[in-house]
Amino acid sequence: MKKLVLLVLIFTVLLNISCNKEDFLDQPLTGRQQLDDYFSTEENSVNFVNGIYKKVNGESWWQANFPRQINDMATDDNWSGNTAQPRPDITGIAAYNVFPGSTYFNSFWENHYIGITRANISLERIPDVEMDEDLKLRLLGEAKFLRAFFYFDLVRSFGGVPIVTTYTELLQPEINDKVRSSVEEVYALIEEDLLGAIDGLPLRSEYASQDLGRATKGAAQSLLAKVYLTQEKWNQAQIMANNVMVSGEYSLEPDFANIYSVENHHGVESIFEIGYINNPLYNEIGGHLSITNGSRGDQGWGWGSPTSDLENAFLSEGDNIRLRSTIIKHGEPVYGDPDVTEFDGLPSENKSGRTNRKYYVPVAQRPVPYERGQIPLPYIHLRLADVMLMHAEAAYFNGDENTAKASLQLVRNRVQLTTNMSLTGTALRDAIWKERRLELALEQHRLFDLRRQKINGVPRIALLMGPNGSFVHYNTEVSTDPFETTNLNEPQEKGIFFDAGIHLLWPIPPEEIQLSRGNVVQNPGY
Amino acid sequence: MKYKILFITSFLLASFTLVAQNLVTGTITDETGQPIPGVNILEKKTTNGAVSDFDGNYSIKVNDNATLVFSYVGFKTQELVVDGKNTISIVLITDDSQLEEVVLIGYGSVKRDKITSSISSVKGEEIAKMVASNPAEALQGKAAGVQVLSSGGNPGASPQILIRGITSNNGSQPLIVVDGVMLPSGSSLNFINPGDIENFQILKDASASAIYGSRASNGVVLITTKRGKEGKAVINLDISHGTQQLEKINMAGADEYMRVVNLRRTNDGNQPLYDPNDITTDTDWWNEVIENYAPITNVNLRASGGSEKINYAGSLSFFDQQSNYTKGWYQKVTGRFNVDFKISDKITLKQDLSPRMERYENTPGILYNLLRIDPLTDVYIPQSERIGRNSYSIYAASNNSVPNPVGTVARSFNETMFFGFFSNTQLDYDITPELTFSSQFGLNISQSGTDAFQPEYYTNPNQQNEINTVYRNTNQSLDYVLNNTLNFTKTINEKHYLNVLVGLLYDSQNYNYLNGSREGVPDSENPNLWYIDAATGEGLTVNNNESTDNILSGIFRAIYSFDNKYFITASTRVDQSSRFPKDNRTGVFSSTSFAWDVDSEEFFNSEVINNLRLKVGVGEVGNQNISRNGQFFSVGSDSYVFGDDRVVGSYLSQFGNTRLKWETVKDQNLGLEMSLFDNALDFSVEVYKRTSKDLLFNVELPNYTGIPGLVAQNVGSFESKGIDFQIGYNKTMGDFTLGLDLNVSTNESKAKALAPGNEQIFGQNRSDLGNRFIKITEEGETVGLFYGFKYDGIFQNQTEINSHSSENGALLQPNARPGDVRFVDANDDGLLNDDDLQVIGNPFADFYGGLTVNMGYKNFDLSMQWYGTYGNDVFNYPTTFLYSGVQDVNVIAGALDNVWSPTNTSAKYPRLTQQDRNGNYQRPSDLFIEDGSYLRLRNIQLGYNFKLKGFQKCRLYVSGQNLITITNYSGFDPEVAAGGNVINDFGIDYARNPITKTYLLGLNLTL
Repeated sequence: MKKLVLLVLIFTVLLNISCNKEDFLDQPLTGRQQLDDYFSTEENSVNFVNGIYKKVNGESWWQANFPRQINDMATDDNWSGNTAQPRPDITGIAAYNVFPGSTYFNSFWENHYIGITRANISLERIPDVEMDEDLKLRLLGEAKFLRAFFYFDLVRSFGGVPIVTTYTELLQPEINDKVRSSVEEVYALIEEDLLGAIDGLPLRSEYASQDLGRATKGAAQSLLAKVYLTQEKWNQAQIMANNVMVSGEYSLEPDFANIYSVENHHGVESIFEIGYINNPLYNEIGGHLSITNGSRGDQGWGWGSPTSDLENAFLSEGDNIRLRSTIIKHGEPVYGDPDVTEFDGLPSENKSGRTNRKYYVPVAQRPVPYERGQIPLPYIHLRLADVMLMHAEAAYFNGDENTAKASLQLVRNRVQLTTNMSLTGTALRDAIWKERRLELALEQHRLFDLRRQKINGVPRIALLMGPNGSFVHYNTEVSTDPFETTNLNEPQEKGIFFDAGIHLLWPIPPEEIQLSRGNVVQNPGY
Repeated sequence: MKYKILFITSFLLASFTLVAQNLVTGTITDETGQPIPGVNILEKKTTNGAVSDFDGNYSIKVNDNATLVFSYVGFKTQELVVDGKNTISIVLITDDSQLEEVVLIGYGSVKRDKITSSISSVKGEEIAKMVASNPAEALQGKAAGVQVLSSGGNPGASPQILIRGITSNNGSQPLIVVDGVMLPSGSSLNFINPGDIENFQILKDASASAIYGSRASNGVVLITTKRGKEGKAVINLDISHGTQQLEKINMAGADEYMRVVNLRRTNDGNQPLYDPNDITTDTDWWNEVIENYAPITNVNLRASGGSEKINYAGSLSFFDQQSNYTKGWYQKVTGRFNVDFKISDKITLKQDLSPRMERYENTPGILYNLLRIDPLTDVYIPQSERIGRNSYSIYAASNNSVPNPVGTVARSFNETMFFGFFSNTQLDYDITPELTFSSQFGLNISQSGTDAFQPEYYTNPNQQNEINTVYRNTNQSLDYVLNNTLNFTKTINEKHYLNVLVGLLYDSQNYNYLNGSREGVPDSENPNLWYIDAATGEGLTVNNNESTDNILSGIFRAIYSFDNKYFITASTRVDQSSRFPKDNRTGVFSSTSFAWDVDSEEFFNSEVINNLRLKVGVGEVGNQNISRNGQFFSVGSDSYVFGDDRVVGSYLSQFGNTRLKWETVKDQNLGLEMSLFDNALDFSVEVYKRTSKDLLFNVELPNYTGIPGLVAQNVGSFESKGIDFQIGYNKTMGDFTLGLDLNVSTNESKAKALAPGNEQIFGQNRSDLGNRFIKITEEGETVGLFYGFKYDGIFQNQTEINSHSSENGALLQPNARPGDVRFVDANDDGLLNDDDLQVIGNPFADFYGGLTVNMGYKNFDLSMQWYGTYGNDVFNYPTTFLYSGVQDVNVIAGALDNVWSPTNTSAKYPRLTQQDRNGNYQRPSDLFIEDGSYLRLRNIQLGYNFKLKGFQKCRLYVSGQNLITITNYSGFDPEVAAGGNVINDFGIDYARNPITKTYLLGLNLTL
């Protein structure tokens, strides 16, 4: 019996000793790297900067891409479109019966700030990494470009927003007490970042082909031109746009129809583009807009269908080349897709029976399965024609009408439209603006153009929308479009609730107002 | 009061009647008819006595009017008046009085009279009355201060237990300890067979639970399983079978739905959507999806017995529960074998083994869609359109884009197989009679695998899946405890009792998973191919990780009592947890408690009060209930594209906190216990206050920080105050026995202090209610209150709208029309905006409680268990669409009578409008809040005991669960299911599958 007791005691003591106290209590993080150890290599630094890009269009369709699509729906180019799904958080915004609680405002806000924090971490940690100095400079330039991109999106959508420029401040309790900065302060930061990015970033031609899609000097200059233009800094805008045009890095795509194509990635005209490929091994590696904007008769969700008003704009200009590559119409063949002779625009579920051709993928080129997040159609944020038209617009407002007309002509020549070189004054201005609409239609630029472009101090959006808006008037009084006037599940009066005292900015997401304990205040009228 | 008079009368009669001598004989048996030898029989108020023999027979000479007192350890003492009778046979009832009971106090046990802290006990047989997969279900209403929050009516659902309110924000679940083995936090009690439970001990205050230190801040539930007793084998079989019923929710039919949809448009000046002449379909989706009856079966076989050296108890049980949907079921088989070996006089070895298997298919969570889908949609597409479609694609797309619930159920394929093995080895060595060394090794291993399949199908462009995917998820967990304790017990001069415990404890929990999936099984209609091996698609995923949580603790406890009058307990526990950064790893938690048995004092001399005890205790416990990785800043990665190639993109995936430390809960408890009238009536009341500091909380920072997810922080202090009241009455009157137990509790949990930057903690963001949080916790206020706009009736006309204006005449609600909701400008600033959000309801009850009734008459027994809450508000979330048809979803039958129209101006709900420019249904408001008080008959059971040759005991019973609910709540079930976070999820009715009514027939046989 004594022996047994002894054995048990020995066993127990051994069991206790074998548990080393420190090993027992130090349980490391498994399966994940830790931030403080992360910035030790060049490769990790590059990967972290890659991660910032992911937030430009969001991880999936709804964080950034779709909110931008809703922006387009809130213009005269798009209907909300999908009349099969009752979604007041989308259709309400498009109709200017704005629901501040829409999840899309919130996710856009959240997405962009997560992107900003990723950029801030990169800007703070990469300088201390031992690595090739040129590469370091480039990575910092990329981070600055992207941070500016995010803030520019935010300031145009919401007005002045809280500014966070470092990672360290997130560790301080005062981070909870931020308030909205002024619009000017946000623009000052954007300009500073873009100027820094221009210094640090290489030209597109200096990148290896496997790096195409990274921010370039040209992309930073183009974005800065737009930032200047938005602030009506005409002179600087013209100079910056000109820098891009004369850089020799970009040229217009000879065939307009080839700008958006699954077979033309990083084309000659593309300045900043989100690369999308098809590879079922990875989630969300391809595009979404072909599905979200596709016709409900063609495996799409039917959002954002083009208006007859937009079609009329092309027709009035005799612009068939761009029309056929911008709008697909129910019952008609699809330009560039020999497999479709009679397109199913499903007018019973789609307000206008029309679909965006730019995001359409011809049947023979579709991956199988044809799924959201797997469409290899690139998304182009900045392209040369945009820069040329910014240049024209800036030159016009600088009083340099000839330069303006020259740039306008470059864009029109490609689509075989003649340019009236005798245009002057507001007629020239209107021609440039119309050219922007036709050239960049359905590419998610329109809302911000209409908000910044003013006639006698009145933003153009206010002339189109509202009870007396010309777009509202057209739809309710003039239009005889066979599709739009028969599918009334999206009412014709779209835009009638527009109020210029409210709707030049989107609402701050109410969640943010609560989370900031009221420090972040709502925009007027919401 | 009636019984008291009865008692006193009989007492007086016994004293004053004239005296005559008489011989009384009889037999004493237990409830099962077994004779009891050795029972003391005493003539009251004399020293005259006798003892029963081996066959339970006795004889005693007494006065004619004497009163006999029968007493025996483990049985209730009974008194009978002789009244001239010569034969008095008596059945002694097993003692349910808690006074003699041995109570587990953690790493030891003491007699209940040594308890100085707050502990509730619930007997296993009470638990077993409720037929449910989870024994916690049966705890509801059984113990004061213990709330059981339902998680809905799905098979296998496991409820949450909440002890004395909320002092912690993250997981308010108590620690569960089974035979001394701590389970990982959040463990479901599903794995234990209710029939194996000897009893539940619920340690409610810190002086009781401090010995569990680190993990005990939400209280501790100790479960003891049944063990064998020396004697011949007892074999017991318990079978029950029944059916569960889901009460139908009547939604609008085609005609009412169509009128609602059209009114929503025409009220806005737009065109109606439907022409009544075109409508041919009127689908009753409830009937299409819900089975009215779903079976439930429980079988329990056990055997126990023992000899001088070995005692054993073994059981095997089977439980099967089906859902009221065509998919969804839960089965489990549990075994248990508890053996006690007496190796020598000094050494005892206990070995418990409990293997278990659970299989289940998840019940589809589609009640919500079932309610919302329009009745104008057919279930299936016509035969003619099915050509070229697989069997998963024959379900019609609804008109209002709510997924077809019949299709959802048909495409739901998942099955989980779970194996668990629980082993507990304990060696007790009595080094000296006073000093015992115990070493315990508890092991809890489980492995589970889930197979799921998602077929390809097409309904419409938004509801389709082009390629099927097969999934296999496996996970394993390995938890162990190693406890070594020394226990010293000594009684000196029969006055001083001392018990000292010291110990060293290791506790480790490891979890790992390996999940995989692949696309493209060749034939999605052949289940034999639903394996990753068969899939040929390019898309595949593999995930794997593991985590370990370790705690090392030292414990000390001393219990001292003097003369069985004064009792004092002191304990200290030192914990080191791997969850906290190295510098903050150690927590020290102490407690002291004191009890005074007033009835043992010389001066105390009451005929009525048998026991009177006062208790007071103060203690601290710790809480480490926060994500185990909360301290770390981690980097995640996904994919991006440069050139035409995939590259790795990395990002900050979790924002950590290097200053994270223990949360401490300080607890004060004051209690009074009384038994009266020969222990027939027992009564206790306890008052407590629990205050946490360094509250652990997952904070959501403003989104402008760009911090993903939540951040673990120590943010402040909560205070929970309340009173637990319990009264029990047990009486035998001839053939009639009665047991009543009523408990009532009140509790209020407040946020006492919150750290700067966290003065307001929000929860439950609802994007459809304006992307606002509908729960708020603010300093000085009750935690988790409802937050929103104040509803002030409905505008009846334009004049009312115009007069709802600021001082300068600006309309507060310029977009309102008659029939819209008037909201209160709470801060009176002439603007209606988010500054006007305010507290609009409290989800916590003024009081809640349970009543247990046990009655017996001859061979019949009847028991009832009631549970109720009073004064709690419920956020009836379905009312955000049931009366509005928001997004053209279906409305409840009769909704049109409840919405405002020029001819129905007294309606509660606003007019129908699609645009809702006034935001009637886009703002959280008390329009959606209702009183959620209810009283529910949780369980009623009627049993009949009968004789059958060869059996010791036979009992047949019928029972019903949740048969009666009394409430004014308009929703489907006032017992609102709670999610994982009690503060932020509690009190919101999201229309989860309601609790079912269950009808059962059962049989107990004892051999």
